[in-house]
Amino acid sequence: MTATSDPAQITELAARAADNRVNLDFETEGMTLNMGPQHPATHGTLRIVARLDGEQVVSAEPIPGYMHRGYEKLTEVRSYPQINTLINRIDWLGSFANEVPFILAAEKLMGVEAPPRAQWIRTILFEMSRIANISLFLGDYGLQLGGMTAGFYAFRDREHVLNQIEAATGGRFHPNFDRIGGLKDDLPKGWIANSHNAMDKLLAFCDEMDDLLIGNEIFQSRTRGIGVIPADVALSYGLSGANIRASGVDWDLRRDACPPGLVYDQADWKVWTHPDGDCFGRTWVRLQETREAALIVKQLLDTIPSGPVMAKVPRIIKVPEGEAYVETENPLGAMGYYIVSKGELVPFRVKIRSASFNNISIVPWVARGAYVPDLISILGSLYFILGDIDR
Amino acid sequence: MSQLSSADTSTETATDDEVVVEVDERRQAVLDELTGRLGDAVVGSHIRPGDDLWVRVTREAWPEAAVAAKAMGYSFFDYLSAIDWLPSPFGRDMDAQEDLVGEPAPAKEPQPIVQGYAGGDTRFQVIGRLYSIQAGMGVHLKVDLPDDDLSVGTWSQTFLGANWHEREAYEMFGITFEGHPNLIKLYLPLDFQGHPLRKDFPLLARRVRPWPGIVDVEPMPGGDDEPEGDGE
Amino acid sequence: MGLVESGKLPKPLSKLLNISRKYSIWAYQWGLACCAIEMGAAFASPRYDVMRLGVIPFPASPRQADLVVIAGTVTDKLAPAVVRLYEQMPDPKYVISMGSCANCGGPYWDSYSVTKGVDQLIPVDVYVPGCPPRPEALLEGVILLQERIAHEDMAARWKGEPIVVG
Repeated sequence: MTATSDPAQITELAARAADNRVNLDFETEGMTLNMGPQHPATHGTLRIVARLDGEQVVSAEPIPGYMHRGYEKLTEVRSYPQINTLINRIDWLGSFANEVPFILAAEKLMGVEAPPRAQWIRTILFEMSRIANISLFLGDYGLQLGGMTAGFYAFRDREHVLNQIEAATGGRFHPNFDRIGGLKDDLPKGWIANSHNAMDKLLAFCDEMDDLLIGNEIFQSRTRGIGVIPADVALSYGLSGANIRASGVDWDLRRDACPPGLVYDQADWKVWTHPDGDCFGRTWVRLQETREAALIVKQLLDTIPSGPVMAKVPRIIKVPEGEAYVETENPLGAMGYYIVSKGELVPFRVKIRSASFNNISIVPWVARGAYVPDLISILGSLYFILGDIDR
Repeated sequence: MSQLSSADTSTETATDDEVVVEVDERRQAVLDELTGRLGDAVVGSHIRPGDDLWVRVTREAWPEAAVAAKAMGYSFFDYLSAIDWLPSPFGRDMDAQEDLVGEPAPAKEPQPIVQGYAGGDTRFQVIGRLYSIQAGMGVHLKVDLPDDDLSVGTWSQTFLGANWHEREAYEMFGITFEGHPNLIKLYLPLDFQGHPLRKDFPLLARRVRPWPGIVDVEPMPGGDDEPEGDGE
Repeated sequence: MGLVESGKLPKPLSKLLNISRKYSIWAYQWGLACCAIEMGAAFASPRYDVMRLGVIPFPASPRQADLVVIAGTVTDKLAPAVVRLYEQMPDPKYVISMGSCANCGGPYWDSYSVTKGVDQLIPVDVYVPGCPPRPEALLEGVILLQERIAHEDMAARWKGEPIVVG
């Protein structure tokens, strides 16, 4: 198969292919709608070329790559601590969560394990970045569906958890706090009590969102029954996180295949699923997950063991030869790093499995036949972060 | 490292005498069933007990392997990518202490190609991972691609999500997937030359400019010892 | 604005116009990457509240904007779109480059796909360093830009090369 590089020809081919795929009810002149690459409601640049028949989407093809920064190549010329700095920026809303699977994979190859206290703090910060991530989703999704208020509320209450992350790690956004063998530092004084307060505020925020967003009639009518994804299609596309749990698949890597180094088994919590698989289900599952994350944090805060936060590792980190893959349940879904090491300062190859990449690749499937305003609902509910798609 | 080329066994060369050879029965059973379904197409395998399973299949059986694994319950498509096993001819040149400002990087001896787990014969390997939610386990599938014909059958009929992953591998490594419906570049501009993730693709910015970290190192006030330029 | 072009604008009037322009900057949000969130926090959150500085962050189109904040990584694939959107803005227009990526490539200084600095494409008035800069840093950048606008000679802006349309 030869690839053409002429954009006009590609547009033409895509349009023709789209027309062939869908049985058109009545003949109207088709129209190609280009969304993006820049849109004020997004953070990041995704372009979607939609072929329309009236108000109905015949085909929608996302064109990623406007933010492709070449992580996988850059990891081949950076040492492990340097990579840690870099990969914070993949999913920029839950930065700490990006570091964890990479560090765990490196630890697996090196055969080191973080001390219990470090594991606890890791899990707490992991869940905090989940809250920081998904709380913005709730606000942003409200914004995209026309509810400005949710956005302001989310930005307001998100600061509480960002403050805690900053107090512990020094980084408001990109903590770069995780180290092979533990953590950079111990918690500051008074952090645990403050975190309890912050989590209480976040729980109140969840209740507020429950009323304001989920309970809103307009919101429900714009999301219920829109963009339904059946479980088998979701699996086939490799959807993960809340997107697949909203399709009724009861699967959460935190519970089912938690890699050593995270202590989710020490807290009592629940995996939420939704049977419908529509936009509403995905939002609802995410809201429950935020609440659940706050509860996990509160439980773990009370049981942090004492002790060191760093295991004994050599000052210059050389990871032994081998291959390892570690996948964790990140805010956006399953995120994994496949590390191939040749025993040098730098990894030989790192394959980054980012959740949004798979989550957004379903758009051509799910957008077919939807109406144009529903396309916004669908895209928003799949919840992607551009750095996570484009890497 | 002899560990890397172990074939068809689940033994780990243990250094301590106390460590008994672990056998992962669940993953061994998966491997056996996959071998039963694919027959001679399974040419290499590796099990790390309690962790992961690697299976290498022949190029002809690559699409069939996906179908077989899916039938075994491995229905969650995790990712698909490729590995270029050529040792990098550039390395980390222009970096940190090896930084030779203004001089070309020392020529490196060409090193042999060593493949990883489950072995291999060729420079390029395609790797894919499938996951079974029921079993809570994943399996890595690998396939060798000969240098003169970098093509393999597509998975995109079995796993719809493979579509984008194969497009990514196509542009990053130049691997063609036969039967792919829309094999065009995914990330890069359409007129981009070269395949960035190949090891012989140089990062030009690194070759024309030294690592900026070392430029910024200034002596500490009051300290008379030389600054440590470890570039981190 | 024939008066402005001729350079005969009386000083007090020029100052008055500058103050007016300074406190009604319509800022187009150009969120490209991580910095977009901090820009969003600065522009949309009640805690930082950019509107008290006289910045109005609501234009939905670059055609209504005076200021564009390039917040994030500019890639070679995106570069034509950056230039296109900048060209759509009416003069006088200002650019704040926010974050290391937009300033110089940042952590991706050696990447094969990232443009090493948006100033290769469009003129930049204020650089805000950081990865990402805190919202306060962006506010500082806005204040610096306002100072610049306040002391600007409006006639000088028009004395340069003639603007070619098309």
